[in-house]
Amino acid sequence: VVYFFQMFPSFIENPTNISFSGQDTDETILLLLRAHPITNLKWIIPAIIVFFVPFFIPGFLTLLRVDLSALSSFYILSLIVINYLFVLVIIFEGFLGWYFNVYIVTTKNLVDIDFHSLLFNNIDLTPLRNVEDANSNQGGIFRSLFNFGDVYIRSAGTTALTDFLAVPNPHRVSDFIIDLAHKV
Amino acid sequence: MPTQPLPLIDLELIFLLKIGILTLLVLYVIFSLVIVRQVDLMSRTLRTPISPIVKALAFINAGFSIAFLVLAFGNL
Repeated sequence: VVYFFQMFPSFIENPTNISFSGQDTDETILLLLRAHPITNLKWIIPAIIVFFVPFFIPGFLTLLRVDLSALSSFYILSLIVINYLFVLVIIFEGFLGWYFNVYIVTTKNLVDIDFHSLLFNNIDLTPLRNVEDANSNQGGIFRSLFNFGDVYIRSAGTTALTDFLAVPNPHRVSDFIIDLAHKV
Repeated sequence: MPTQPLPLIDLELIFLLKIGILTLLVLYVIFSLVIVRQVDLMSRTLRTPISPIVKALAFINAGFSIAFLVLAFGNL
């Protein structure tokens, strides 16, 4: 499990081999963040449940006294395949949503890349020189246990907050951002 | 107690089931093609070492869904 999580890190300092659209040649990524891997349970658990549905269907149909022997085996196979395609839908949506929704701190900007669904995306750029304040929030047993929470960054000239949601080590992240903003 | 076949499983129901299966498979093919497009867009927005692997998986998924749709049209 630990090795699996290491393959898909959610807190990377000075990442190499990673770049983003719009990155300047003199701009370096200092910190790349994703939501904590434990947040993926919200799609992993439904995927596991749907995965095991075909194992319980025959017993359920027997209880209802439904006999499917009139159906050809290809119909049964098709229904099973559709079930597993549905599992793939859940996995694809969940994984892509987690992996590509990233928060990046560069030497110049805070970048928030959001893919709200498979069809809508949004990229927020906040210049570091505009950062005035950064707060971290880590409430609840689950978040304390796994050490993740939200970081809110307020920038000059706007009431909108830049938010890094469910990121690991939120206090460290907010401290890192404020220290960096003071240097710029 | 022996199970009795219900009269529901008749030709009309099987026809409806066939239409339902084919509709779901067509919808999945559309979804898999949207995923290919979206993964391409995501990989261009954020370039990481595993982006090519994710792209390859999206293509394999689309290929499998199209192949199974063709197979279903031929066999159902």
